[in-house]
Amino acid sequence: MTIKHILQLAAVASSVAVFAHGGVAEDFSNGSNASTFGLSGEQKATFSGKVVDILCELSGDCPENCGDGKRNLGIVRDADNALVMVSKNAQFEFNGGTDDLLPYCNKAVDVDGLLIGEDPGVKAKIYMLQLIRHKGETEWSKAERWGEAWKKRNPGADGEGPWYRRDRRVTKQIDKEGYLGLGLEIDKKWIAENQ
Amino acid sequence: MKMRRLRTPAATVLASLASFIVAAGRLSAAPGAQVVEIKGEIIDTWCYLSGVMGGPDAVVGSAHHTCALWCAAGGIPVGVKAEDGTVYMVLKVKGEDPLAQTDTIMELQSDSIVAKGQHYVRDGVNYLVVADVISNEGITNRNHEDFGVVPGFAIPEKK
Repeated sequence: MTIKHILQLAAVASSVAVFAHGGVAEDFSNGSNASTFGLSGEQKATFSGKVVDILCELSGDCPENCGDGKRNLGIVRDADNALVMVSKNAQFEFNGGTDDLLPYCNKAVDVDGLLIGEDPGVKAKIYMLQLIRHKGETEWSKAERWGEAWKKRNPGADGEGPWYRRDRRVTKQIDKEGYLGLGLEIDKKWIAENQ
Repeated sequence: MKMRRLRTPAATVLASLASFIVAAGRLSAAPGAQVVEIKGEIIDTWCYLSGVMGGPDAVVGSAHHTCALWCAAGGIPVGVKAEDGTVYMVLKVKGEDPLAQTDTIMELQSDSIVAKGQHYVRDGVNYLVVADVISNEGITNRNHEDFGVVPGFAIPEKK
């Protein structure tokens, strides 16, 4: 077999791989007013779809109200039936998107935000949700519900500083295993030498 | 910056043949799923895939552990980065929903594990329902020795 034949086979294999997962995602940037941040593979994207519980969509395991805030949610995009996982909302303190999607569980919505990721073969890149509304409405809501939802989930966690310094689950782990996760002694030594 | 990949189904099949994913014993496959065992590291998928905090080697392991705790508590999807680089989005762990406000996912964050569960693929994204964590070596990626902590404010300064 010649090098030419090998290259031809590689090209065929590559095209088959692309076909196997449905090809490259469409461009959804037209009409988007999303803020950009220079993230990996970032694309502005506004589209319509249905809010779903991802595990329900994949497996048929469907608790009431999309898991009532306990599950990762996504959007099945109208244009191509792609299941888009919403990984992030519009806030800037390590906040996911479930609290912003939950009021729209199994409802039709319009969204605006950013598709993220560099793999050209992935049809459904992860999504940073910035704006959401019921499909066809004129007014958008900012995807910023997480902060208030955290306060309701953590009564008594008021105090100075950002939530992630006060969150009970975070502080419990850090108190037990340190900031590096390797134990308090390793933490202590590293901090003494580096801070 | 190095490419991060949500490995395609075709590539995943090849990888499974290579070694990292093996059909597992007694757990039955759910409809549309494949039973798998995956060896890898629990990661914060947002920072890993978005590059918001830096390159992929810096946003895993001990360097990124505190931020990974923040993101898990913040409801950002947790993943398993397999040894072949495939990222699996974790949709359940040991019967618990990922945002159930328990400590299960927090205790696993950044650990090197072998997980057994149901693997789904849709639109090029790999999803994992972890039925069991078969082994857990804790945090083996001590990359703070190379990167410090990421982000730099992960450890608060002394007042």
